[in-house]
Amino acid sequence: MSFREKSAWIALVSVLACFGAYFGAILTGRVSGRGTDTLHLLLTCVVGFAVLQALLTVAASLTTPKDSRSARDEREQLIQTRSHTVGYYVLLVLVLGLAIPAHVGHPATDLLNFALLDVVIAGLAVSVAQIVMFRRGA
Amino acid sequence: MTQSELAEKIGMTRQTVAAIEAGKYSPSLEAAFRIAHVFQAKLDDVFQWIG
Repeated sequence: MSFREKSAWIALVSVLACFGAYFGAILTGRVSGRGTDTLHLLLTCVVGFAVLQALLTVAASLTTPKDSRSARDEREQLIQTRSHTVGYYVLLVLVLGLAIPAHVGHPATDLLNFALLDVVIAGLAVSVAQIVMFRRGA
Repeated sequence: MTQSELAEKIGMTRQTVAAIEAGKYSPSLEAAFRIAHVFQAKLDDVFQWIG
């Protein structure tokens, strides 16, 4: 597995773990979704995401040192471009969908959580697209 | 020559070379010329286009 593919897996796992915990806590009612308890949880998840991704990336670079130091080759660049295009369209649709909760009267904090969820889903779409393209040998 | 050796000579990853060999990825013209140059062969001898 190349370093870039490992990076895609790391991004996927990190996002699922950290933001899964955040949205899971909101959905299960452990936090209200607004207020300082939610803010603290969000900040913890963001910091945790950054730390987890950094640690896993360092570990991946130690297992594939040559790959991690070299620039993306043309296929990896193509996969990155295509996956970001997928993520862009996913985010576009989801953000347009924000109009629905906005117009039915959801408070601003709910809209912020929906917006964050949209960004997380778009990020997951980018990672999944990259992994699929790497696995298929595209 | 192994895939890793070829990859190093042309500045690509082993996985990209494997994808080219499997016909799952079409390299750019520049990459195709580099591969042909490594094998000291003509482009047509290394790559064929099946329409």
